[in-house]
Amino acid sequence: MITAIIRGKVALAIKLVLVAIVTAVLLTLSQSAFAKGEYAIAGFLFIAILLINFTYFSKRTVPLKFFLPGILLLTAFVLTPILYTLVMSTFNYKTGNYISKEEAIGRIQALALEPDENASVFDIVVGEYQGSPAILVSDINNNAYFISTPDQRFPVSNAAITADEYGVARSAPEFTPLESGDISSSKAAKERYYFDGTYFIAVENLNAGAVFRQSLEYLPQQDVFRSLITGDIYRDNNNGNYANENDKAEILEPGWRDPTWFSNYIRLFNDERVRNPLISVFIWTMVFATLTVLTQFSFGLLLALALNKPIRGRRIYRSILVLPYAMPSVMSILIWGGMFNTEFGAINEILGRDIAWFQDPTFARAAVILVNLWLGFPYFYLVSSGALQAIPSELLEAAAIDGANARQIFRKVTLPLLLQILSPLLIASFAFNFNNFNLIYLLTGGGPRNQLDGEIAGATDILISYTYQIAFGNNLQDLGLASAISVLIFFLVASISLYGVRKSKVLESFS
Amino acid sequence: MTRWLKENLWRHVIGIGMCVFAVFPLYLVVLSSFNESGSLQVTSFIPKDISFANYKTLFNDERIPYLTWMKNSLMIAGFVAIASVVIGAASAFAFSRLKFKGKKFGIQLLLLIQMFPAILALAAVYVIMERVFKFAPGLGIGTQAGLILVYLGGAMGVNIWLLKGFVDSIPAELDEAAKIDGASAMQTYWQIFIPLAAPVLAVVSLLSFIGTFNEFILARLFLIEVESRTVAVGLQQFIGGQFSENWGPFAAGSIVASIPIVVIFLSLQKYIVSGLTAGSVKG
Repeated sequence: MITAIIRGKVALAIKLVLVAIVTAVLLTLSQSAFAKGEYAIAGFLFIAILLINFTYFSKRTVPLKFFLPGILLLTAFVLTPILYTLVMSTFNYKTGNYISKEEAIGRIQALALEPDENASVFDIVVGEYQGSPAILVSDINNNAYFISTPDQRFPVSNAAITADEYGVARSAPEFTPLESGDISSSKAAKERYYFDGTYFIAVENLNAGAVFRQSLEYLPQQDVFRSLITGDIYRDNNNGNYANENDKAEILEPGWRDPTWFSNYIRLFNDERVRNPLISVFIWTMVFATLTVLTQFSFGLLLALALNKPIRGRRIYRSILVLPYAMPSVMSILIWGGMFNTEFGAINEILGRDIAWFQDPTFARAAVILVNLWLGFPYFYLVSSGALQAIPSELLEAAAIDGANARQIFRKVTLPLLLQILSPLLIASFAFNFNNFNLIYLLTGGGPRNQLDGEIAGATDILISYTYQIAFGNNLQDLGLASAISVLIFFLVASISLYGVRKSKVLESFS
Repeated sequence: MTRWLKENLWRHVIGIGMCVFAVFPLYLVVLSSFNESGSLQVTSFIPKDISFANYKTLFNDERIPYLTWMKNSLMIAGFVAIASVVIGAASAFAFSRLKFKGKKFGIQLLLLIQMFPAILALAAVYVIMERVFKFAPGLGIGTQAGLILVYLGGAMGVNIWLLKGFVDSIPAELDEAAKIDGASAMQTYWQIFIPLAAPVLAVVSLLSFIGTFNEFILARLFLIEVESRTVAVGLQQFIGGQFSENWGPFAAGSIVASIPIVVIFLSLQKYIVSGLTAGSVKG
């Protein structure tokens, strides 16, 4: 009794400490998220805090006590990314349109600089003058020196400065130079220093400042940019960019991610440059997944049939045969990559050939199928062996009594039963290989692809690796389009998987 | 004798043929890992003299912080294996045993989520973690902590689903009896469910360990600094197409990295094979 009370007290104390720590951590994170303008994340964290405290201090929330941590993790790192993928697929979200509109406006303003006609550059020292950030400028050509703050410029007489041997001013009265280590991180480096009203001096590096003027101004009321040089107006083109009213093709960089609704999906079907590679990649994905399942299954089944009798050495065979399946697949795929090497690889050596396996589409595809056969046949050997044992021997005996020969028994009795037992696994394997990213990425990288033509889809690219290339490849990164394809794949795979689940349900009701 | 030949010869031919196919690449890797020159080229299929030069390079060369990679992999996979099962088991228990509103919907959602290949949401995970990095540089993209969180989230769907299946198979009489004796849900969980489930929890957590150790693409996306990489990413980047130069140490590295996984797998074979027929595919 007493131990129970003590145990209860200890448990309560542990609970209090744990909840307090979690609350403190999440609260800190929530605050800093809020401070950086990530309101959605801050909100999620705040709700999580409330839920945690409510759940673990109320007596009425028993089931929640058990699954809240799991649900929070699932929501944060699986559910939210899935929904976010859906959202991203309706946005024009790609290289050049990566940031928010506010950030883009700021960036355009900061980039809209035009040098003066001589592209003047001065030697400068960054520092402080009369309590405001300032630069000490040496106009060596005119043998003149001045100090500029953001609003004003103060001439300094030649006598007052200390100059080095090149005539560059190093210090001046009342001017405090910054330590060089502090400059790049300081606000002083980002200021625009007064030059003559129109033009200003921007800090280029530690000792140089260049003369610029602003070439575009933002008019918040109309949400347009106006060129200060030509007077042209740049308007929001509803596609994530400001475009010149007189020439729609002239847009300001960078753009922002803008909702374009179904345009990514429409591109999948209408834009030839997207549709044609997508179709060929889709066909190869289906061929790859089908061939993989067929080869893996038939080799596995053949082995299972061969070893379905207690022959000598069966256990040794079995323990060797599972090795490919026991190896970490990442390592195996990389090892196979080396074996297919053109100059040094073992395969060419054995064949006595110089085949450039990964430069030729047909050879590359054959290699992918072969390696996947190696990776997967032990799985089907194991499950087929299991399934063969599960077939009642009376059935086979009955068939034999009826006068069927071994081949007939296999074709008419064993195989149909096996297929019925294994069909959910065959479907699951198809769904898995449909998205077998690691194999493609690590073995061929999706190639060979014609990079000179800017082709993104390679000969061995399956949908998922193609999507990865679109989102994270070396060319233009188009997260919006990639997300749209992801959504498409999801529906394909989900319907395949649901079909598999239904099959296994049907099976359960049989047994 | 002829009968024996007729009945069994083909079995051995297939058995030996497939064993050769299965072992061939592994044998070659072992061979080249002990080959002094570390060359990819196979000069002879029978080792002439055994050299440990590649293993020495692997553990001493500054370009390959191999031990750090191994440590990273074991730590990340170990943490995910334990934490995901601790959290997942509690959820599975609730979904299997407790009554609450929206349970059916929750289970259906779980079924759907665990079908969703995590890699499809890769871009979204990347963008979200990039944003997290802005306010919490220790948790966002580029950090092991962030990677672990994403792994944990991803492991939830499958683990809860697997464990729920197991909890369903424990006879309900046991915890109903406990309930009648006045045990709370918490007490039932800790005193009846956990001791019963301990072996299964161990197996699921080891499977999680293998899966995480083998994960490549998220780790590749997250771990940019050489020192923070897992062994899979580290070796992939190290070999990076330079088969002729780095093959020897790579071969040694891939063997050392595979040993723990192969050992775990072989010792769990019985459970994995029975799990296979239940419809789970190793990633």
